[in-house]
Amino acid sequence: MAKFIGRRLVYLLPVLLAVTLLTFLVASLLPGDLASTILGDQATPEKVAALRAQMGLDLPIWQRYGIWLWDVLHGDLGRSFRTGETVWDAVTARLPVSLELMVIGVALALVISIPLAIVCAVKSGSALDRFFTGLAFGKLSLPNYMVAILLIYLFAVELNWLPATGWVPFAEDPLANLKSFILPALTIAFAEWPVLMRVLRSDMIATLQEDYIAMAKAKGLRPARILLVHALKPSSLTLVTVAGINIGRLIGGALIVETIFALPGIGRLLVGAIYARDFIILQGVVLFVALGFVMVNFIVDMLYAVLDPRIRHGRA
Amino acid sequence: MTSIASRLFKIMLPLAAVAGVAASPALAQKKGGTLTVGVELDIAGFDPLKVGVYDTSPNIAASLFLEQLTRLGDDGKPKPSLALSWSASEDYKVWTYKLRPDVKFSDGTPFNAEAVAYNFNRQKDPKNNCRCAFYIANTLSVEAKDDLTVVYTLKDPAVNHPALLTRPDQNSTIHSPTAIQTKGDDYNRNPVGTGPFVIKSWTAGDRMVLEKNPGYWDKNKPNLDRVVLRPLPDAQSRFASLVSGETDVVWADEYEADNIARARKNNALKVLEYVGSGAGVAAINTKVPPLDDVRVRQALVMGLDKKKISQALTNGLARPATNPYGEGSWVKCKDDGALPTDPKKAAELIKEYGKPVQFKMLFTATPRGRATSQVYQQLWKQIGVDMEIEQVDQATFPPRAFQRKFDIIGWRIVDFPDPDVQMFANFYSKSPLNLANYTNPELDKLLEESRATPDEGRRTEAYCAISRLLNKEATWFWVFQNSYYAMTKAKVQGIPKLYGGVIDVSNAWLD
Amino acid sequence: MAVLELENDVASAAPASRPRRVGILFVGSVAWIAVIGLAGIFADWLPIQSPTDMDLLAKRAPLFSPGHILGTDHLGRDELSRLIYGGRVSLLVGLLAPVIGVLIGGCLGMVAGYFRGRLETFAVGGVDVLLAFPPLVFVLAVTAFMGQSVANITIVIGVLGIPAFTRVARAVTLTLSEREFVTAARALGATHSRILIRELLPNVALPLLAFFLLAVAVTIVVEGALSFLGLGVPPPTASWGSMIGEGRENLDIAPWLAFLPAGFMFLTVLAFNIVGDTLRALTDPRPGAL
Repeated sequence: MAKFIGRRLVYLLPVLLAVTLLTFLVASLLPGDLASTILGDQATPEKVAALRAQMGLDLPIWQRYGIWLWDVLHGDLGRSFRTGETVWDAVTARLPVSLELMVIGVALALVISIPLAIVCAVKSGSALDRFFTGLAFGKLSLPNYMVAILLIYLFAVELNWLPATGWVPFAEDPLANLKSFILPALTIAFAEWPVLMRVLRSDMIATLQEDYIAMAKAKGLRPARILLVHALKPSSLTLVTVAGINIGRLIGGALIVETIFALPGIGRLLVGAIYARDFIILQGVVLFVALGFVMVNFIVDMLYAVLDPRIRHGRA
Repeated sequence: MTSIASRLFKIMLPLAAVAGVAASPALAQKKGGTLTVGVELDIAGFDPLKVGVYDTSPNIAASLFLEQLTRLGDDGKPKPSLALSWSASEDYKVWTYKLRPDVKFSDGTPFNAEAVAYNFNRQKDPKNNCRCAFYIANTLSVEAKDDLTVVYTLKDPAVNHPALLTRPDQNSTIHSPTAIQTKGDDYNRNPVGTGPFVIKSWTAGDRMVLEKNPGYWDKNKPNLDRVVLRPLPDAQSRFASLVSGETDVVWADEYEADNIARARKNNALKVLEYVGSGAGVAAINTKVPPLDDVRVRQALVMGLDKKKISQALTNGLARPATNPYGEGSWVKCKDDGALPTDPKKAAELIKEYGKPVQFKMLFTATPRGRATSQVYQQLWKQIGVDMEIEQVDQATFPPRAFQRKFDIIGWRIVDFPDPDVQMFANFYSKSPLNLANYTNPELDKLLEESRATPDEGRRTEAYCAISRLLNKEATWFWVFQNSYYAMTKAKVQGIPKLYGGVIDVSNAWLD
Repeated sequence: MAVLELENDVASAAPASRPRRVGILFVGSVAWIAVIGLAGIFADWLPIQSPTDMDLLAKRAPLFSPGHILGTDHLGRDELSRLIYGGRVSLLVGLLAPVIGVLIGGCLGMVAGYFRGRLETFAVGGVDVLLAFPPLVFVLAVTAFMGQSVANITIVIGVLGIPAFTRVARAVTLTLSEREFVTAARALGATHSRILIRELLPNVALPLLAFFLLAVAVTIVVEGALSFLGLGVPPPTASWGSMIGEGRENLDIAPWLAFLPAGFMFLTVLAFNIVGDTLRALTDPRPGAL
């Protein structure tokens, strides 16, 4: 076990290096740079060159990456030239917002999708199954920016139960904080549940056809027990995989949801940094997101072994 | 009015205004309360050296905790703010301002002539590479003659100099020198000014909370206790927040025509509208065929039915523009030389040109950029022109503009009390912003004339001649006036005209 | 071999307890797909209006307006025509992009899940890198260098989908690799490639196909989201996704502008999945044991 964790940690470093290097390289290829952005309509070639030199942008890519890496290894994530705030402050101010959104959103999605998937798998082919299938695809056809605005019109404008926009820190007012997350989290949950429900249903239908399920039934076990204890676990592989990927992506922020509900999350920070070519912020965010991804995938891989004991870890 | 009389008038006016302000009856202003304002974009910061230029959102914030020497009154004329009075030299190249005494920055340090000079020198210093230096290019120096006297020395005469200082922008707002020096890089997000409010807290991407400044020099102001500024980037949820009551004031533009119409019908809301000077425009790269042929350019302009475009994009709210000055400008031309809307004639010109007309037009990758681009494409298709749409993100726009890597590019002439700065920037042949790559000695001469004289009549003549020339050569074209909007709850009072698109709530109150 | 063949005989000898009839839903789905597909292919020859001509006096005309049976959009363009041309784009992107994902991701995932060890570590690591890499940077880079086009959007979304397919294929392969039939085949001396292709692939294919059909739906929506950010198919080309995005701004005046393309999309992805479900039920006759 310890060996497994140790192996995973060793694997973490090259991944972080590869992601940040790749991001640095590709982002450097994008037209325009921070100097031109800052200078705007005053971006004469001379001024741009002068500002680039001042910002250290005229050094070769390898050197710039190396300097960044060196600073990071010494605990200094840098400071945005554009806003003056440190990368650490910028990211840690917004990460909790995105994390809370992700946790509540995915939890709601699972609460919706797992029971529905079980029901549809058991009654596969029936009218109920068809209905929920239709609902799932109907929901997929309504993208999250549509759902968001519909939810806002209903709950914020018409009923005035929940706020349309904004965020209150948990420490300041826990109830207001939760209220401000309900609509955005619902938007995310509604976006995620169709795929999660469908993959679980798919895998469950296949599992329910297995011999050992027939045997369990023959042994006289109650259907509920068979379902939840014997069938659900091994069917959850794809569900866990997809949920893991979605959670990882959500750590990187949910740009559209954050924009519509005006939540100060990682997504807006990331996109703002990309559009302004503010690399130091971009690198900082990518570092955190990559860290998050690796951790989530680590958990997902551990879950594989838990869910399906037939999967052992590694083989030379 | 003769020259001398108008000069005297301009000097006496501020003195009368001071008296007027002191005596004006309060319109039953109520004190207290919190006002929440929804703006479009998040604010990067307030240090001119870092952000270069203030966009609308920082302008709105700046109008609360920063001040300038002058401000625009309801009549569009400059009024005292941090300066009490001013006078000009004979040639209008030297302006002397007498500052208001006993004013302090919110960090306790004194506001004085040294502070004004410090702000200016910092922006102008070439070592600082500030984008903001361009907009004060005409100012050679700002000196502190004594504690309360500042002298501006200009390169070319400026009759309207006090008006040029009224905007709460990166050049005119006065920041605390002590704060700048002690905070360094952190100043950008922790600015200090002399205004009626002070920044209490600022969560990036979420909200800025400003509270009443207890040390403000005008004891009658402000009315509100607190202002909360919230960036709400999505237009529909921004409007929803107004209707649901979460915000009291929201920024809007004419592309939100449906929401504006809805707000007008709603008794609990009201709509503020102001048509400024300038216009939404586009520059044509005259060095690139087929756009180097004046017939093609004229055809493009004549083929754009602006009323139809306005109907399509803004339900008719946007007002067509025919010259670079706009309805809100003091430049009024009897004949600005505008080309008529005539698609038939345009098609003929294209046929006369003979060769196929194909080019790309640059648009921002936003919903309004997309909608606009498709309408232009369609209208030009009908006169036989093939326009390809090129969508780019905002960061790519300036470099493309600067390097002239475009065929046609959208631009804007901003609402400003005097056309001089932008006219020179955009149309003078040697200007780096001469986007159209167009050189014409007659145009240069007219531009030089327009700033050489203080006489508004002669300047208007020059500007109108410029307009006729530009319209005939069709190197740029003007599409819509700069219309600025704000939607507020009916009970919000005290918001002045939206000069420059700035929603100034510093004097607002809640009924 | 003998063991495996026996297994198959046993399986097919068991009586199927569900009648293998294709229902009316299946027929309807195939018909809908055929109609949309054919309309898209022959769009230029159909007696419909141009999808880009703007009738600026008839903005947002309601359904059954004269000349516009499904109304017009916010710029006065005929909805029916845009739905047909848009369907063409959405189906092309929606079908082709996941193909990239399933081919590359599926192979990678299978190989990783089967061989384990260092190969798996590299594959999973590579996938993690791709996942953590901000997709927007990738899209912007492709758009900047290769321009905005239907083909480029397909490639971009396809590549962005590879990690998901890889992980799913790997997960399925992990389970299957430990199953008896694989152990048996190995014991009988089958080579790796034979095991991969003959034993694992048919079993991995089914869940991958189910995931593929979901990916079709998600791709059409993702293209719409990209259009929302200005990075989807370039205007004036329509796609259902971009039409939904444009419709959002007109929800209370002309809600059909959003709901018509959403409805078309819904019917299409539903049809694909019903076809997929039915085909799977037909080829895998064992009933559920519960």
